[in-house]
Amino acid sequence: MSETYNIQNVKERINRIEDVLASVAAGDLDARIESEIEDDLSGIEAAIDLLIDDLTDELRQRAKMQKELEDKLSKIQEQQKTIMQQQEDLLELSSPVSKVWDNILILPVIGTLDSQRTQIMMENLLQKIVATGCTIAILDITGVPTVDTQVANHLLKTVTSARLLGAECIISGISPAIAQTIVHLGINLSAIRTKATLQDAMIYAMKQNKRSEEVKLQIQRAGYDETEE
Amino acid sequence: MLGLTSDKGWDELGKHFLETEYDIVRVRQVVRNHAKELNMGIVDQTRITTAVSELFRNMYNYAGGGDVLVETGIVDGHQSLIVTCIDHGPGIADIDQAMSDGYTSGMGMGYGLPGAKRLVDRFEIQSKVNEGTVVRVIKWK
Amino acid sequence: MNTAMHDKRIPIIKIKNFLIVSIQVDMHDRLALQLQSQILEEIEKTGAKGVLIDISVLEMVDSFIGRMLSGMASMASIMDAAVVIVGMQPAVAITLVELGLEMPGVDTALNMEKGMEMLERRLRNQEFEL
Repeated sequence: MSETYNIQNVKERINRIEDVLASVAAGDLDARIESEIEDDLSGIEAAIDLLIDDLTDELRQRAKMQKELEDKLSKIQEQQKTIMQQQEDLLELSSPVSKVWDNILILPVIGTLDSQRTQIMMENLLQKIVATGCTIAILDITGVPTVDTQVANHLLKTVTSARLLGAECIISGISPAIAQTIVHLGINLSAIRTKATLQDAMIYAMKQNKRSEEVKLQIQRAGYDETEE
Repeated sequence: MLGLTSDKGWDELGKHFLETEYDIVRVRQVVRNHAKELNMGIVDQTRITTAVSELFRNMYNYAGGGDVLVETGIVDGHQSLIVTCIDHGPGIADIDQAMSDGYTSGMGMGYGLPGAKRLVDRFEIQSKVNEGTVVRVIKWK
Repeated sequence: MNTAMHDKRIPIIKIKNFLIVSIQVDMHDRLALQLQSQILEEIEKTGAKGVLIDISVLEMVDSFIGRMLSGMASMASIMDAAVVIVGMQPAVAITLVELGLEMPGVDTALNMEKGMEMLERRLRNQEFEL
């Protein structure tokens, strides 16, 4: 084979090699030299093309793995969201508010109260107060052994918020331990109406009801007696 | 800015210029809408709207207005709404004092800051006298 | 924007001996103060003994509006009129408490009907005090 090397030719081919390498470095994974000439230089050109093939294979593999990992991650995140939603639903179910008497709501609470549960309880109770128009709500915590300061604060917040709505919130079934927590917090006890047992709270609530009914009747009767101004 | 949470990866939802009283109402409505879009619970929507109302009023009353930047992004592992108030007003000389509860009944600069802090998940403030104040509040979804 | 649109007045209606104010808009500070003066003027003009302020549409009450409401309750009581705030939304109540604005001494009621009952009861008690 005659080996005539035209310097210009070699220069061009070297430029081409540089261009292809630069393209690959810039992200074009399809760039290849693909020289058709067969000589000593073409050995290097072919080797470079093979190298680029291997490189792009690796990169493609890696991209695929990355995508799979990302998919797995978002699946896990979806599952987490579902679990959290289910937990929230469970919390809501475990603190049902019931209207037991005319104008009286009862919320029996059982088990440990954590900050999140108390928060949800509070929102539930307030929504129910607005929805039913009941002005007396009894929060019975006989089934709750202790509370921490955060939860005690949330309970106080519930009572105060209920007042702002125009309803009275009574807390019944306070254990000695909880009573201590409340006092240690320095909470003004006149701010919350408490009763030892649920029964006491019910009796108080029904008396309140009776009183308001009587006043309502009085006003209505007086209204019939009054002459229009 | 030093001391504020890094905003890497946050998306900008809007930038607003607060100049008049009406802007306070308008921009807090915008914030509420963004909170709704993020599917924040109604109580949390109200909390962040009320908190920024306090901040906006402060900015309006004591700095003559300023810029409000609303962004969303992951903070402390939660998708969050981030509202940053930037003013070039007189600044707060004693931030600790302004943030203490004694100030909620006072009439000085920074009134309403402690209240706003209680309503959000993260509260950050930086201020330099005669240069201005930056307050950033973050509410998790 | 046309500022006249922003400075709409909030309507005050008189029923029996009471004034009824229904706040339906997100108020800017000046409008809130304007409302406060308006109500006090109406109390003076009409001799009303009670004011029902319906905030059932308000999705937010911040410290300014909160202080305006409790301030007005105090001022009205000096003018011998009782103020009852009705229809506060739960989210608003919770936020006010967390803000530290518990509005002690301000009467509240669940809705208009209960608010009226409260005012009538108050008036009746006042008559007995004579």
